[in-house]
Amino acid sequence: MTRHLFKLVWNRKRTNGLMILEIFFSFLVVFVVATLGIYFWDNYRQPLGYSWQNVWKVTVDMKAGNQDDDATVAARLKVLERLLGEVESLEPVESAAAAMVSPYEQGGWTMGTTINGREVEAEGSGVTTKLAEVLGLEVVAGRWFREEDSALAWNPIVIDQDLARTVWGDEDPIGKQFGDPDPKETPLRVIGVVREFRKGGELAARNNFMFQHLRLDAPSWLQPRSILLKVRPGTPAAFEEELTRLLQGVAPDWSFQVKPLADERASTFRMLLAPLVAGGTVAFFLLLMVALGLFGVLWQNLLQRTRELGLRRAAGASRSAVHRQVLYEQVILTTFGVLLGAVVVIQIPVLDLVGFIRPQVFAAGLVFAMAAMYLLSTLCAFYPSTLASRLHPAEALRYE
Amino acid sequence: MIRNYLKVALKVLARRKFFTFISLFGISVTMLVLLVATAIFDHSLAPQAPETRSERTLGIYRLTMRGPENTQSSDPGYGFLDRYARPLAKLPGVEKVSLLSSAQPAVSYVGGKKIESQLRHTDGEFWQIMEFELLEGGPFTVEDERDARFVAVINETTRRRFFDGQPAAGRTIEVDGQRFRVVGVVRDVPMLRFSSSADVWVPISTSKSASYKEQWMGGFEGLILARDRADLPAIKAELQSLLREAEHHLPDPKRYKTLTAGADTLFEGLVHKVGLGDSDKLRPAAVKAVLFLLMLLFMLLPTLNLVNINLSRILDRASEIGVRKAFGASSRTLVGQFVVENLVLTLLGAMTGLLLAIPVLAALNASGVLAYARLGLNLRVFLYGLAMAIFFGVLSGVYPAWRMSKLHPVQALRGRSV
Repeated sequence: MTRHLFKLVWNRKRTNGLMILEIFFSFLVVFVVATLGIYFWDNYRQPLGYSWQNVWKVTVDMKAGNQDDDATVAARLKVLERLLGEVESLEPVESAAAAMVSPYEQGGWTMGTTINGREVEAEGSGVTTKLAEVLGLEVVAGRWFREEDSALAWNPIVIDQDLARTVWGDEDPIGKQFGDPDPKETPLRVIGVVREFRKGGELAARNNFMFQHLRLDAPSWLQPRSILLKVRPGTPAAFEEELTRLLQGVAPDWSFQVKPLADERASTFRMLLAPLVAGGTVAFFLLLMVALGLFGVLWQNLLQRTRELGLRRAAGASRSAVHRQVLYEQVILTTFGVLLGAVVVIQIPVLDLVGFIRPQVFAAGLVFAMAAMYLLSTLCAFYPSTLASRLHPAEALRYE
Repeated sequence: MIRNYLKVALKVLARRKFFTFISLFGISVTMLVLLVATAIFDHSLAPQAPETRSERTLGIYRLTMRGPENTQSSDPGYGFLDRYARPLAKLPGVEKVSLLSSAQPAVSYVGGKKIESQLRHTDGEFWQIMEFELLEGGPFTVEDERDARFVAVINETTRRRFFDGQPAAGRTIEVDGQRFRVVGVVRDVPMLRFSSSADVWVPISTSKSASYKEQWMGGFEGLILARDRADLPAIKAELQSLLREAEHHLPDPKRYKTLTAGADTLFEGLVHKVGLGDSDKLRPAAVKAVLFLLMLLFMLLPTLNLVNINLSRILDRASEIGVRKAFGASSRTLVGQFVVENLVLTLLGAMTGLLLAIPVLAALNASGVLAYARLGLNLRVFLYGLAMAIFFGVLSGVYPAWRMSKLHPVQALRGRSV
């Protein structure tokens, strides 16, 4: 039976070839949109590592240049220290910290180093001591920074579990030196591990992350760029103005922008999901077009084959047998198109073309796109095949 | 002859309404997407107020410093532009040089309400290069900038936010903790126009700190208005020789050795802004080729779809083709006829797409996704759309037409399949 069906498909290879090609490209379209959607959804399910509720972010533009000398930088840090103190003394503020890179920021700092002969990449940020309190970071091993850490002869760092696993696997990372020692630089040593820190927010993939201790009493290359503060629940938006005026009063030369982290989160979501929604809408209409097209072509083709199908009916084939034949033929076409698509798509994880998407997400996208194509093409074939099976044998044979 | 073809084409379309609907649906959706993309491109790049002279304006949008181990790339700083872009004004072909900052977010509070604006610092020449549509007052001048007067030009939306749409000239606004006297109000400029758009424009010299004056990297761009388009190559060349000179005075000569920048047209600038390639490596022709390929790629699926539909429609007309062949019509004539028929179909679809594009663009404008955008259809967009529709029509018509012409007359007369 199957062999016979293949023969039938082969006999109309030119028409069918074009249909297979169309299914192949539709498959690719569905795959791309589905994989991106699944990628975001998969990220959304992973732990975030911090809480954004009731956290406000003050973006601080210190009008810094990249040619500033140490004295200028030190003076700036002094002002920042004063700002932090003033802000913390306000009634609605529970705690405040300065950071180089804060959550939901697009840019950032990425560092690459070789550890045990392996390339390790991590995002990072320099933060002051209170950040763990502000963002509610969960320290799972070792400890967080302390003010007394300034006295250490090495630079303490806190890493997230992803980075710990990447570098040391199951070993205990506490106390270990990070990176190959360079005699000119102060070594980095791990003092603690936090559960997770996904700087990009809920939709970003899990990534290695590392905190360095940002000290306000000594200039370093870590430049604070924002103040994060935990406010009491229910703090009104009007407090923004009071806060801004206070900051501007202390540092009239700087620019400040106060925004609840919830707003930053919302705009990150919008920015990442808008292209997906736009692409998804276009893809939806493309598929609708393909579905209508396939439907029309199948219908026309079956009209063409009236005599063939009539002959089958006359020779005793039941209605459902004709019905099944048409559907199976369509399934065979779809299989060709989808397999072709799968062969192309599988190159992506195999050749590691898009590194940031996990193989599982690829697999899910592949399965989804396959299922969608089978559903689409059987739906398109259903009505024409019903029409074909309803043909009266006598009428069908007379048809010319 | 063509008239006959058109007559037949319309008859055929009217005969099988369902097929005509399917084809038109696919074509109009395809054209709709392409038209919206074209309208956005046109809105970002075509000369329009205030960038009416963009055809003879060049911009320095990106500066890259390279050393053996370090690379730094960003928009240029004021210090660099002041020293090495301003001298371009001495060239005979240059009318004006202007330095301006990129738009930065700035916050104001009015009556307990928060207003977020895009603030841009410019010099006086900026207002001579650009032709803003003034609603009130006028721009600030070169003298205002020199004397660091706290004056501002605001756009229509800012006037509405701060003053409820009442006349604003002479009144004061507070932005980012500084107070400015409003001297002019201009019409909103779409944010897509990255080197003119803002909510509030103020003189560079009113910046909170003077540190920008020494910076080589970051925060600014330079605009050069040429007298004529023919002067552009000379300006580009002169900038390169100024860069070679600047390389002897780099701020951090130990880490950085070379400088790369270009005097870019708007299109080149846009390509740089979205982060594709460095000034020296970028070839606009290559980017245009990539855009064309993207269009082809997008058309691929609709084309296949239309080819499939067309092929199955031919079978419908086998006897007609048979008769024409039997009476001596050549293959070429038949191909011509079918391509014309397909063109009629695609142009009809393109018209539908055009009509659909009007509400879609209006909805995009209203949604505020692209701030201050006034996307619409103009003659340029229409002509691009027409060209794309014809391309699409030929692309999807040729193969079915060829297959049709290959039909054997005897077979065709009997109504056999292709």
